[in-house]
Amino acid sequence: MSNVIETIHLTKVYNPETIPVYAVNDVSLQIAEGEFTALVGPSGSGKTTLLNLIGGLDNPTEGTIRISGVDITTISENKLIDFRLQHIGFVFQSYNLIPVLTAAENVELVMLLQQKTKKERELRTKELLEEVGLADKMHCRPSELSGGQQQRVAVARALASKPRFILADEPTANLDSKSAENLLEIMERLNKEEQVTFIFSTHDPRVIEKGKRVITLVDGKIVSDTQS
Amino acid sequence: MLFKIAWRNIWRNKTRSIVVIAAVAAGLFAGMFMMAFFGGVVKQEVETAVQTQLAHIQIHHPLFPEDKGLDYAIPNGMVLLQQLQTNPVYKGVSGRVITTGMISSAADAAGVEIQGIDPETEQSVSNVFSFIKEGAYFTADKKNEIVVGQKLADKLRLILHGKVVLTVLDRDGNLTAGSFRIAGIFRSNYSTFDASTVFIRREESAALLHTGDQIHEIALLLKNGDQSDQQARQLAKQYPGLLVQSWKVLSPEMAMLSSMFDQIMYIIIGIILLALMFGIINTMLMAVLERQREFGVMMAIGMNKARIFLMIVLETVLLTCAGIPLGILFTITAVEYSHRYGIDLSGFSKGLSQYGIGNLIYPELQTNMLLPIIAMTAITALLASLYPAKIALKYKPATAIHKM
Repeated sequence: MSNVIETIHLTKVYNPETIPVYAVNDVSLQIAEGEFTALVGPSGSGKTTLLNLIGGLDNPTEGTIRISGVDITTISENKLIDFRLQHIGFVFQSYNLIPVLTAAENVELVMLLQQKTKKERELRTKELLEEVGLADKMHCRPSELSGGQQQRVAVARALASKPRFILADEPTANLDSKSAENLLEIMERLNKEEQVTFIFSTHDPRVIEKGKRVITLVDGKIVSDTQS
Repeated sequence: MLFKIAWRNIWRNKTRSIVVIAAVAAGLFAGMFMMAFFGGVVKQEVETAVQTQLAHIQIHHPLFPEDKGLDYAIPNGMVLLQQLQTNPVYKGVSGRVITTGMISSAADAAGVEIQGIDPETEQSVSNVFSFIKEGAYFTADKKNEIVVGQKLADKLRLILHGKVVLTVLDRDGNLTAGSFRIAGIFRSNYSTFDASTVFIRREESAALLHTGDQIHEIALLLKNGDQSDQQARQLAKQYPGLLVQSWKVLSPEMAMLSSMFDQIMYIIIGIILLALMFGIINTMLMAVLERQREFGVMMAIGMNKARIFLMIVLETVLLTCAGIPLGILFTITAVEYSHRYGIDLSGFSKGLSQYGIGNLIYPELQTNMLLPIIAMTAITALLASLYPAKIALKYKPATAIHKM
């Protein structure tokens, strides 16, 4: 399996000129296609910062990030937005769906930005919402959905652009245990059946045990990296 | 989709959006109604000037306007008058003998302009006859009648059928006087005119002034008033030895008021829209600050800055433009109503009459100004969207996503 993500001596320092805080400290890792990786560690260990850096949402202080061989630290902001659109899917802790759009429109938006045809968009939106078990909620707005349902729409949205991998920042943190379990099942199934690469941060032990690879961060440094 | 998002975003906070839409509608209503109101005022002023005093075109001896001397009569004036009266372009043509003199009553005396007229033809160029409040605009079988304004009558304590003496210098330079009886008292919209102008029959003025069949002024009222300049130029070419002037030349201040009106109104509407712009900026800024996380997510999932900018511009323009039809609807309704019944300003009649404005104002909406106003509002919305859009573009997705 080839690497989709590679970080080399990745460092992110906040307040470098006053009281430097190393959110991510000299992290070098490779993630191969099809992996199901849990990024774990206590609060403030740098999980979210590392995910933001890998996703191109934040700039590193030092180091290199290669996504499918492309060094994203050297490309312009506008090109980076387009790169994210084509290669990376995101699932956020607070679902973060666009509240004025329906579930289907939220999923469709990403494909619209990719300038896919209407037919293609409609077909894939239907497929994805069926896949996450929300075919009957297509026309509901986020406010009409439960937290678990919203997060499943978010997963469908992340998959819509057919990304190389999906970054999920504490995807189960705001969900009850049943919804969390349901979401993890969907993610595992997508990984197993469709080879979708997932990197998710969590500190929930039930979620950690689902990870096939578990990377532990403490104070911005990788302290362990285990495969099951 | 951007249009859909922008439109739905407007209705996320209904109260806030309705307030902005109402403000735009109220601002436009204020501006357009004021425009219609002052349009009515200007129209009335011009109409008073043209229909009561000046007519559309006047013809004089080239030297007459300088000192109004009796020697400066129009050469072959009566022949010219008869020629012009047969021209179908004119609604009315009237010849006038004009001089200045003194009018005296038992109580007082005043300097006035004396117009010797033919009452029948004068009615085709001037509406003074319609302003008669007491008596008549001359009576067919009576001689030596005079028609005076209400203000002059009040000053000299004149009563209907009472006698006055007109003292003038005749054509030979001799002081001469004639006795006249008040046939009618008029009150036009222009009090200065009422205080300073009297009318007698042309043949009686000729007898008093020894001017024979001479006339000093030919007043022409056109069927189409918009052609006054063009027609004046044509007459000037036709009669190079005479002075032909349109009302715009005779009363440049009135012409300036009329032509500057549009510009003044655009400036006023511009000021109203400028004030509205700050309200719109404030609303959009609040919306952009509240939705920081949403913009962060949009950027994260791949919406580029141009699209985000366009979305905010669209949202602002849609929000603002939603107020335009409402503003226009309110204005048309209010203008229609007030145009039918008039706005009564009789409380200010004394001041208004000095400017030739009546007690009732009839607002008139100039429909040709609607499109520019709509365009100005849309431009205002566009300008108002720039700052909030700029703020949104500054957001960094990593920090914006985690904003509460």
